[in-house]
Amino acid sequence: MALDKMKPSVNLSVLALFGLVMLLLQLMSSATQESSELGEMYSWLLVVNVLGSVILLWLVGANIYTLTRQLKKREAGSRLTTRMVSLFVVLALSPAAIVFYFSMQFLHQGIDSWFNVEIDRAMEDALELSQASLDQRMRWHLRQTQQMAATLAITDSQMLTQEVENLRDLAGASEITLFSRPGKIITSSSVNPGDILPSLPNEDIWLRLRQNADYIALDPVANNELVIRALVTIKSADPKYLQVLYPVPVRIADLADSVEFAFLRYKEMGFLRHSLKLSFSLALSLVLLMSLLAAIWVAFISIRSIIAPVKALVKGTQAVASGQYDQKLPVIAQDDLGFLVESFNEMTQRIASARDETRIASFEVENQRAYLETILANLTAGVISFDANYQVRTANQAAYRIFHIPVNVLIGRTLLSLAESESELAEPLKSIHRLLEQADDIWEQRMAFLSHNGRQELLCRGTPLFSQDGARVGAVAVFDDVTDLIQAQKNAAWGEVARRLAHEIKNPLTPIQLSAERLQHKLAGKLDIMDASMLQRSTATIVQQVEAMKEMVDDFSEYAKPSKKQTVAINLATLIQEVLALYVLKSGVKFKARYESGALIINGDPVSIRQVLHNLIKNALEAIDSNGEIEIGLHRVQKNSTDFIQLAFYDDGPGIKDEHLEKIFEPYVTTKAKGTGLGLAIVKKILEEHGGTIWVDTSRKTGAGFIIQLPAYSPSTV
Amino acid sequence: MFNRVAYKYGFCLALVLLPLLVVAEDFRASIHGISMSVKNHFYALSADIDYPLSAKANEALQNGVPLYWDIDIHLQRPRHILWDKSLVAKKLRYRLQYHALLNMYRVIDENSGEIHNFSTLPAALELMSSLRDVPLLEEAALVQEKQLLIALRVELDRNALPLPLRPIAYLNRQWYLSSEWILWPWTK
Repeated sequence: MALDKMKPSVNLSVLALFGLVMLLLQLMSSATQESSELGEMYSWLLVVNVLGSVILLWLVGANIYTLTRQLKKREAGSRLTTRMVSLFVVLALSPAAIVFYFSMQFLHQGIDSWFNVEIDRAMEDALELSQASLDQRMRWHLRQTQQMAATLAITDSQMLTQEVENLRDLAGASEITLFSRPGKIITSSSVNPGDILPSLPNEDIWLRLRQNADYIALDPVANNELVIRALVTIKSADPKYLQVLYPVPVRIADLADSVEFAFLRYKEMGFLRHSLKLSFSLALSLVLLMSLLAAIWVAFISIRSIIAPVKALVKGTQAVASGQYDQKLPVIAQDDLGFLVESFNEMTQRIASARDETRIASFEVENQRAYLETILANLTAGVISFDANYQVRTANQAAYRIFHIPVNVLIGRTLLSLAESESELAEPLKSIHRLLEQADDIWEQRMAFLSHNGRQELLCRGTPLFSQDGARVGAVAVFDDVTDLIQAQKNAAWGEVARRLAHEIKNPLTPIQLSAERLQHKLAGKLDIMDASMLQRSTATIVQQVEAMKEMVDDFSEYAKPSKKQTVAINLATLIQEVLALYVLKSGVKFKARYESGALIINGDPVSIRQVLHNLIKNALEAIDSNGEIEIGLHRVQKNSTDFIQLAFYDDGPGIKDEHLEKIFEPYVTTKAKGTGLGLAIVKKILEEHGGTIWVDTSRKTGAGFIIQLPAYSPSTV
Repeated sequence: MFNRVAYKYGFCLALVLLPLLVVAEDFRASIHGISMSVKNHFYALSADIDYPLSAKANEALQNGVPLYWDIDIHLQRPRHILWDKSLVAKKLRYRLQYHALLNMYRVIDENSGEIHNFSTLPAALELMSSLRDVPLLEEAALVQEKQLLIALRVELDRNALPLPLRPIAYLNRQWYLSSEWILWPWTK
């Protein structure tokens, strides 16, 4: 738009410049004409033209400088501009230089041809002829004057005036003057009666008269006329001087004047020959220089306007190459280049719309992918995808939670290589890898491993992935942590068992006990001492065993029924101290307790938690001898952004055998000779009801170790 | 590096041009012997002008090129802040020409039209050299002024030279025949 506005003004200024250049050159050309009134301005015109050339030179120089800088910067269109300008300069300069050379030749030869020896000679001869003619006339007038002097010498002084008048008439002189001495006039006669004062000879003439006795010369007078002045001495006792002025005939004077003018003109031309050549050469050079410079400058402007769309196209192409498709190039002219620019605009518009569509599509795909990723990430089931080489491609957060391996460690590794670094997971990882390699369809398998949190049960499902042409491109494995589910199933089963036991076993026990006591009561007095004693022992055994069975069933139902929770904030450290106080005195065991500073408070049922501690301590006391040591540590940990109070419980007893590790928290699992085997099962149950966990610390090599984690108390959870 | 080379070449150039400077003679006209007097109730100026014509100018004269000389006379009143006030500005113009037919030199007073012929060039120049009692201003016109300034200059009118000679006249020192302005303080 801006270019469109500028265009007419540029064209006008170019036209104005050309007009000015032509005017200046024409003025200078006119000034060189002899008769021109501009002659006086010639020097100024020359200066103005030189200045104009300097300005044009500067303009061209500035353009060349700009072009050179653009070339160095490798700007768009600079090379094409250079080529076009060079071509134009060569095309314009060559004929101009040839014309200039031959013009100079013709000019110099032409000026030289004006002069030759013959004309020189003729001119000098003509002048000499004129001088000789005038000389002859002068000599004749001198003789005439001398005769007049002789006549006057014998004339009476009274008659002198009359005689002078007569002589003037006779001789046809214009004026006769008689001097007694220089400056002293005796008498005078003039053809013009109005001339009061005769023409007086100057000092120089008097001097020459004294030297030569007579004087004759051509004297120019006013109005460019010539007179012949003759001055002779009248020799007598009283010498007098006679001056006669003879007019030169008009025809002769004109001829002499013409010859002199021509001679002088020719001499002047001869003298100015070199200056003339120089002057014409200068004018011609100036004309060439100005027109060439103006043409080159206009060439720069025109080529720039031609190149402008090409330049814009190059810039536009670069912009498109760098990914900017919103460029719209201005269409300067409706020519081929304009059509090209329009096509370019259309092309970029199409590319831009195509790019936008692609962007929207990819955005949607990305959204979809993010959505799927979010779903995957929030799945409780761990999902791991594998590539064709069974290297992990993706894994979700649940996989990390289940395996406790950071996702970034998983990615790009095979399960076999992971098995080497993760020894606890070696078995399940190897079996998954094997299944991935071997299975051609969906597979499902349950597997267990021992993690830091204890035994974990996994339900694994997997499927190989095939491309459309049937090639195996990878696999997906999905696994759920079913530990809690299995535990819940087990708990439910045990609950059912307990309920049935209570119902089916405990009910008959009371009649059995009552019957035995009744037997004892009825028969004790009727039997002899021996039998009575045996009855006593038998019924006592029956009652005792029934009591024991009752106790067992009670224990069991206690285990099976949900504990009645009345939750309050419990300072675990204080609670531990209270419980330990009961055992410190009774047993000789050494207790070592380490509590972290600060509040170690949980939210729970004090009775249940107290039972947990009792069960654990009882278990330990049974396992160690009287010199043993029980170590209790209490500190705060953070897991999955939640604060937990961790209780570490260690003894230095014989420890737990590996084969018992998996089932140690299940009911009726015991390594001791006596005991129901419900102690740890109840512990686990209570802790789970409190949202906590317990597992065997397998890293401990001596004795047994349990780690308990309970959610730390926070007011919001109350 | 560049500077050293530039200095070296500059020095050589100076050595080459030095003789030209020495040879370059001054052909400018000079003015001396300026005096003021009162003639017929007029302040009149007298001065002597020396015209050392260059060879080129002489050659041009011999070849019929007329030389026009302007004698500029200014009578000024000096002022402190503003430029001097011009009271009188007078221009005398002479034409010096060679007369081939008579083998004479002619001096024409362009103001009055008087023609003076001389058989020798020095005699012709002598006429132009002596400024005698050129009336400038009436005596009565200068009553208050005590301190005045006379500015004088002799100038060869280069624009009156034949056209081809003009560019050269501006470039060649032999054509620098005009004098500088001469300022002569005149106390009445």
